[in-house]
Amino acid sequence: MANLIRTFTAFVLLFIGAQRLSAQEITFTAQVDGNSIAVGEYVKYTISLGNARDRFEAPSFGGLVVVQGPFDNSSFTIINGRMSGSTSRTWVLTATKPGKYIIGAAKVRVGGGIIETEPITIEVAKGAGQQSDPNATQGQSRDPNIFITIGLSQRKAYVGEQIVATYTLYSRYSGLETTKETLPKLDGFWAENVELGDVSWDQQLSTVNGLQYRTAILKRQVLIPQRAGKLRVSNYTMECVVNRSFFNRGTPLEVKSNAVEVTVTELPGNAPSSFKGAVGEMEMQVKADRTQVKANEAIELTVTYAGKGNLKLLEAPDLELPGDLEQYDPKVTDKINVNAGGMSGSRSFQYLVIPRHEGDFLITPLEFTYFDTRSGSYRTIASEPLNLQVSPGDGTAAAVQRPNKTDVQVLGKDIRYIRTGDLELRPTGEHLFGSVAWFAGLGAPALAFVVFLGWRRKREAELLDVAGSRRKHADKVARKRLSDAEIALKSSDRQAFYDALGKALHGFVADKFGLGPAEINAANLRTHYMSYTGGEPVANDYIRLMEACDMARYAPVEDRPRQQLYDEAAALIGRTEQLVRA
Amino acid sequence: MRTLAFSLLCLISVSSSAMTRIEADTLVARGARAYSAGETATALALFDSANTAFTSPALLYNIGNCHFKLNDVPHAILYYERALRLAPGDADVRTNLELARQKVVDRISELPSFSLGSTWAKIRGGRDADEWSRRALWACLLFFLCLAIAVAVRPRTARRVLFGLSALLFLGTALSIAFAAFRHDELTDDSEAIIMSPKVDVRSEPREGSTVLFVLHKGTKVTILQQENTWSEVQLANGSVGWMPPASLERI
Repeated sequence: MANLIRTFTAFVLLFIGAQRLSAQEITFTAQVDGNSIAVGEYVKYTISLGNARDRFEAPSFGGLVVVQGPFDNSSFTIINGRMSGSTSRTWVLTATKPGKYIIGAAKVRVGGGIIETEPITIEVAKGAGQQSDPNATQGQSRDPNIFITIGLSQRKAYVGEQIVATYTLYSRYSGLETTKETLPKLDGFWAENVELGDVSWDQQLSTVNGLQYRTAILKRQVLIPQRAGKLRVSNYTMECVVNRSFFNRGTPLEVKSNAVEVTVTELPGNAPSSFKGAVGEMEMQVKADRTQVKANEAIELTVTYAGKGNLKLLEAPDLELPGDLEQYDPKVTDKINVNAGGMSGSRSFQYLVIPRHEGDFLITPLEFTYFDTRSGSYRTIASEPLNLQVSPGDGTAAAVQRPNKTDVQVLGKDIRYIRTGDLELRPTGEHLFGSVAWFAGLGAPALAFVVFLGWRRKREAELLDVAGSRRKHADKVARKRLSDAEIALKSSDRQAFYDALGKALHGFVADKFGLGPAEINAANLRTHYMSYTGGEPVANDYIRLMEACDMARYAPVEDRPRQQLYDEAAALIGRTEQLVRA
Repeated sequence: MRTLAFSLLCLISVSSSAMTRIEADTLVARGARAYSAGETATALALFDSANTAFTSPALLYNIGNCHFKLNDVPHAILYYERALRLAPGDADVRTNLELARQKVVDRISELPSFSLGSTWAKIRGGRDADEWSRRALWACLLFFLCLAIAVAVRPRTARRVLFGLSALLFLGTALSIAFAAFRHDELTDDSEAIIMSPKVDVRSEPREGSTVLFVLHKGTKVTILQQENTWSEVQLANGSVGWMPPASLERI
C-alpha cells in the first residue's frame, strides 16, 4: 500500500510537475492508510511536504504509540533545469486501548509562514488483534529488548486438572543463538511436553507496549498438579548471544523468565468409590469383540476412556468379572494428543478374557467417575451390562490349557465296557432288609429253637418218668430174674443160675437207685442204702451176697449151696423193698 | 418259608408294576446290543425305560456308561454313584467313576477320614444291604442250630465247643444286621447330590445377590445339609458350606 502510494505520488509528481512545479507551489499533507484499526493493529501515518525542503515537527499522536519510525523519504527530480521534489516522513502507529485518537496537526515552516496539516481521527476498535500478553508486559519490564515469559492457561486449578504452560521468547535482536537453557523446576506437577518440532520464529510480529518483537515459542508443557496448595513454576533461564555477525562477536546475555504460581485446590471430599483420579471431561465405553463364544476361546474386552483430561494418568479399571472368566493383564493403547489445548484423545485397556466353562455370564456395568472441572463436581458414568454366552467348547483347548491337571494322558483311556447278560434286575425300591420276609427269616430259627427246647423238656420229663417206673418195676423184674435162676437151680445149670442171680441182684439195685452198670459197687450201694434208716445191715448183707455170687460166677468156688443163695437173694430184695417203701 | 415270603413279595410288586421282569430283561438286552453297535443314545433310552421299574448296580452302571459316552459327565457320575451305592465294591464302577471324575473341574481335597472309619468301610466291604441281610439270616439260622445241638449234646467238650461256636455266630448275626442297617441307611439316604448345571455360584445366604463364597461346576458331589425356600445348603468334601440355588442339583 505504502509502495503504491509512493509510486503513485512519484508518478503524479512526474506527470503534473511539468506544469505545476514550475509554479513552485508548496504542498503539505498528512495521510493515514486507514482511519479505523483494531487494538494491536498498525496504522501508517505519513506527512509529505512537496516542493520544499524544510524541517517539520512531529505532531502529537494523541495516545497512539509509535511502533516504528520515523522513516524519511525524499525524492527530487530536476527536469529541464527545474527542480521538483517532495519529502515525506512516516510513522507506524498502534493503539493499546480502544478509543478515538486524534493525531494533531503537523506543522512546517516554509518561507516565512507556517503550514499545518489537517488533524486526523483514528478509530481504534476493541480488536481481535493481538492483545498484549500481560505476562509479556511483565517480562518486558526486565529487559525491553529480550525476555522470556511463562504463560499459563489458568492460574487456578484443581488437583489433576491440566494446565498448559507456554514458554515464549520475545526478542528485538536480529541474530540470536541460544547457548544454554535451564528448564523451570516443576515441583508438585506432572509434566508432559507438547511436541513442537524445531523452535522457529513466529511469522507475525507481536507488540508489547507498543514495541514490536519477534516471538518464538520455546516450549509448551501440559502441567497436572499433583497436590493442593500454591505450586510454583520457577524461572526459565536461557543464555544466548545476540547480534553475532561476521564482523561482530556478539553480546552474551542471560535471559530469565518470570516465575509463576498456581493456586491448586483439593478436589471435593465427597468422591464416589469409583473415582480413581480422573479429572477433565471424559466418556467411557466397554466393548467386547464378541459375546457368543465357545468355552476356552478368548474374548477381547475393551474399556476406552475418551475425552480431555489427565488421560495419561488413568489406571486400568478393576473389572469385576464372574469367577469363571480368566482375566489377563490389560494391554494399554493410547491415542492421546498433547497440544496447546492440553491432553485429549483416548486411552483403552484391552483385557483378554477366557471363559473356562460354558454358561451365561453377566458382566456387571463398570462404573467410572471423573471430576468435571467445568461444573466442579464428580460425574459418574456406567457402562452397559454385557452378557456373554459361552457354549461348550470342543475340549481341545481345555486339555492343553488346564495347568494343574497332570491326568491328561489318563483321559485318553476309555471307560470299561457295559455289563451284558443277566443284570440281576430287582424291582426298584424293594429291599430285603426290613421286609416282612426278612424279619420272618430271622424269627423262624428262633421260633424253631424255642419249639426244640420245649420238645426237649417234655422228653426229659419222660426220661425222668422212665427212671421212676424202673424203680417201681425193679421188684417185678428182679423176681422174674429170680424165677429164671430157680429154673436153672432145678436143672442144675450152674452158669445159667449164677448169671440169672447176678443179673437179678445187679438189675434190682440199678433200677431201684437209678444207677448205671458201671456205678454198681460197694461204696455206691452203701451210700444209697445209708439214706434209709436201718439200711446199713441190709447193705452189708446185699454186698456180701453179690460178692459171693460174683465169686461163684467167675471162679469155680461154691462155699454155700445154691438154694441158700437163692433164698437169701429173694429175702434181701424183699427187705430192700420194705426199706425203700418205709 | 423265608424265600417263599420274599418271592411272594416280589410277585406282588412285579404284578403291580406295569413291566414284568422279562420285559425289562428284553429291554436291557436290546440296550446292550445298541451300545455295542455304537448307538449310545438308543441304548440309553432302552436302559432308562428298564430302569423305571427295575434296578440293579449293573443297570445303573450301564446307564452311567451311556451318559459318559454321550459326554454328559455329571449324569455319568450320578449313575456311577448310584451303582456304587448299591454295590460299593464294584471295581468296574469305581474305575469308570474315577475316569468321569477326572473330567470334573473342581478338585476338592477330601478331609482325612478316621482310619477306623476306613477299616470299618473295608469290613463292610462291597456288600449291599440285601447281601448283609441274607448273611444275617444265615448266621441267625446257624446260631440257633448250633445252640440247639449244644443243648442236646451230652459230652461236655462237644457242648463247650458248640456253645463257643454259637456265641461267634450270634456276634456274626448281630454284626450282619448292623451292617445291613447301616447300608440300608446309606441306600435310602439321599442327602448326597451331583451338580448338574455347568456353573453354580455358592452363596452365603439362600437368596440371590448375597456374597458368592465359591463357584462349583457340573459333576461335583456335594452333601445337602438342609433346604430352605427351595435353596439347598450344601457341604463340600473339604468341609466348606454354602447355599445353592434350586434346580442345579440331582440327588444320588
